[in-house]
Amino acid sequence: MASKSSLLKVILLGDGGVGKSSLMNRYVTNKFDTHLIHTIGVEFLNKDLEVDGHLVTMQIWDTAGQERFRSLRTPFYRGSDCCLLTFSVDDNQSFLNLANWKKEFIYYADVKEPENFPFVVLGNKLDVTERQVSKEDAQQWCRENGNHPYFETSAKDATNVAAAFEEAVRRVLATEDRADHLIPTDTVNLHRKPRSSTTCC
Amino acid sequence: MAAPAATKIILEQEGIFIHSNATRSEDHESLISGLLRVMQKDGEIMVEYKPLEDAVDPSSMLCAGKDTSSVVEWTQCPGDRPHRPVEPQQSYETEWDMINTVSFKKRPYANGEGVSNHVHERTKWAFFFNLGELKSIKVKTEGWSYLVFCLKDDIPLPAFHFHQGGSDAFLDCLRRYVLLSESPGDESTLMVCSHSKALSQSFENLLDDTTFGLVQKFKKDPYTTTLGGFSKVTNYIFDAFRGQDMEHQQRPAEEVADLLNEVIPGLEINQQEEPGFEVITRIDLGRRPDVERREPVSAEDWAKHVDSEGRVQSVPHLKKIIFKGGLCHALRKEAWKFLLGYFPWDSTRDERKNLQKRKTDEYFRMKLQWKSVSEEQEKRNSRLRDYRSLIEKDVNRTDRTNTFYEGPDNPGLILLHDILMTYCMYDFDLGYVQGMSDLLSPILYVMENEVDAFWCFVSFMDQMHQNFEEQMQGMKTQLIQLSTLLRLLDLVFWNYLESQDSGYLYFCFRWLLIRFKRELTFHDVLRLWEVMWTGLPCQNFHLLVCCAILDSEKQKIMEEHYGFNEILKHINELSMKLDIEEILHKAEAICMQIKSCKDLPNSVSEILGFNAETELPRLEVSELEMFEPPQPSRPAHRQECVAGLISNDSIFNSGKLPKPNAGCCLPQREQCAAPRPSKPKPVRRNGTTFRGASHRPEPKRGDV
Repeated sequence: MASKSSLLKVILLGDGGVGKSSLMNRYVTNKFDTHLIHTIGVEFLNKDLEVDGHLVTMQIWDTAGQERFRSLRTPFYRGSDCCLLTFSVDDNQSFLNLANWKKEFIYYADVKEPENFPFVVLGNKLDVTERQVSKEDAQQWCRENGNHPYFETSAKDATNVAAAFEEAVRRVLATEDRADHLIPTDTVNLHRKPRSSTTCC
Repeated sequence: MAAPAATKIILEQEGIFIHSNATRSEDHESLISGLLRVMQKDGEIMVEYKPLEDAVDPSSMLCAGKDTSSVVEWTQCPGDRPHRPVEPQQSYETEWDMINTVSFKKRPYANGEGVSNHVHERTKWAFFFNLGELKSIKVKTEGWSYLVFCLKDDIPLPAFHFHQGGSDAFLDCLRRYVLLSESPGDESTLMVCSHSKALSQSFENLLDDTTFGLVQKFKKDPYTTTLGGFSKVTNYIFDAFRGQDMEHQQRPAEEVADLLNEVIPGLEINQQEEPGFEVITRIDLGRRPDVERREPVSAEDWAKHVDSEGRVQSVPHLKKIIFKGGLCHALRKEAWKFLLGYFPWDSTRDERKNLQKRKTDEYFRMKLQWKSVSEEQEKRNSRLRDYRSLIEKDVNRTDRTNTFYEGPDNPGLILLHDILMTYCMYDFDLGYVQGMSDLLSPILYVMENEVDAFWCFVSFMDQMHQNFEEQMQGMKTQLIQLSTLLRLLDLVFWNYLESQDSGYLYFCFRWLLIRFKRELTFHDVLRLWEVMWTGLPCQNFHLLVCCAILDSEKQKIMEEHYGFNEILKHINELSMKLDIEEILHKAEAICMQIKSCKDLPNSVSEILGFNAETELPRLEVSELEMFEPPQPSRPAHRQECVAGLISNDSIFNSGKLPKPNAGCCLPQREQCAAPRPSKPKPVRRNGTTFRGASHRPEPKRGDV
């Protein structure tokens, strides 16, 4: 594999309306727009950040969530370093669909070792009062589906958004076959970091 | 590679394939890749083919190799297999089809599957002949072009497959020395006639650019170093090369390769570039004419076109002035109903009143259908539930900064919602697809009436339907058509985009899906749409609008060396920064420029509808001239028609390429020209959606 700069490609997936674009905008521009228009096609934003002493540029890709746009969305999965599976805590269906999103990602991103690929799960819209998905259910799903870190976020009030994206970077850095070429000079044995450690909320 | 001193190489193209064994299917080892050259040797013109022995240039390879995964999403193959099902192959053409579906590649997989390593087998395919011995050339197309040379002793040579394009350039080159004319009995055969000085002269002018167009493909070739003579493009050439190399160093290997190779599987634009029987690729389009736009049509202008009973008179003229200046806002509510085909132009006021009455009943009948579904019922109707859920979400985020839709509980939102829900009842197969709220919002804004807005939206959706269908055939077709146009208009830019793996123009996706709705300010959208709905000055005018915008951006894109991601980002960020009048101005000028061009490639004429039975008068001839194109109120008709046929004949289902350019074949043309039912219903599929995602392509569904 060619040498790789510290550009990390992270992709946000999840049902339409769960807040993918809002999460991206909150994280990159620290702004929130209640009536942010739904995404058509594919967009991305870059964000420079430092995680555990590593400087990285995160390239966050945001896609249209509707099933119909699958064929125009999936080609962009390739080359992703991390996938943020997103649902909305006030929409049970979006939670139930996480498995499909994960499956779709693994299939189209051509992930070689799905069990080792870094996924991070985001339960967004923590600010809404009527929850349909409990934290416990979400955590259980994450445990049972590959020990993915789970974050409950609110793009609206910025809760946990940065933490979730930063965790994505850590996960990438910790992934064994990538750590070495991401930061070639760094020999810290990052990849021994236990995978199941994260709970933040 | 250097030729002997007495030999001058006039043209060289690599990545030309011979299929050495036409009977074995799925056997990619029988592909021979080689160089095709036109040379001048001792005053004679020779054509030479040399298989590449060892140094196969990876950039010229097409790999059918592993991982056709992203192909399948355009296909509808039943079963679990992620790859296209292997069907018994009839011929090597079909085999190539499969390869092509995954061949949007600049860089192959390391193992280089798909290209023979059998060096010994290759040498026997080398040959050369004197151009004087050439009798005819068969030009065929199978998504790409291939040429079969027949010598005067009637010995046919193997077919040369131009999988990376360039057959036009090659033929152009031959035309400098011989006259190629279509065989009377077989338009796919070019007969070689005597040397024609006059002709060679005229092509002399074209050659420079043609040669330049090949630069990208020659980049590993020493001849490129001599191309500095093309002074006007020198900088670009070097930059383009440098840019590519830099990019390869900078970017993560996966990122470019993966995104790029298969971004729109099935959209093989670089194979589509050589439609049918065309022999001219690079055409001097001549000067872009000056065009004038005018003031919006006023209420007074409009009134002059309406007779005492309310019939609209001199419709072609009226359309023309609408095209030229749009409508003043007060007129839109009335005029759009005609432009969209909701009201027939020749109807009287009374007839329209009756029509509206009928349509009102019909609307509310459909509205009642979803309104009367109980919660219990809806629990058992996942599709309706999904439509409703998505509509609710999207209505809440459609044009909320527009006063018509802003604030909580705005009645505009309820109307948007209800019309979209009713549209689901009108067309349950399609249902609601994201983007439709964008198309409805301006219409509702103008109509300020639920029923009228609904029926106008229905008419607009008739044009846009294919964009939203399960397979998004309309999108695929349009992207290919746009690529064809762009290539004609600006080969240098087109090549640049290709070099950045952006030749499939994915970045225009949003433009096309919702007709620039997100790119322009709300009022500019109104202007653009009414102009487009006139169907003037040509079919698919919106594609020229794309060309006009790209024409304004190309300099920046190339100068700044934008790669794949940057191009996408740059185009996305043009949103709300575009000037509609400037764009319309330029788009019309481009149309005139193309229209006045002789020897227009057939594919281009097809896309823009210049092949219509009656030649359209030129718009600039007289301001007041009246004319009507064949499908005036339905600019997208032809495209829908072609695309519909494509989706119908299952090209995608078998993983083959879309062939809109091959639409020049007669059966399609005839069907397209067939009269349209008054209420056109595009072919559509059962649009069953299921939540979330599937790990495999959807099984084919029958039409309902």
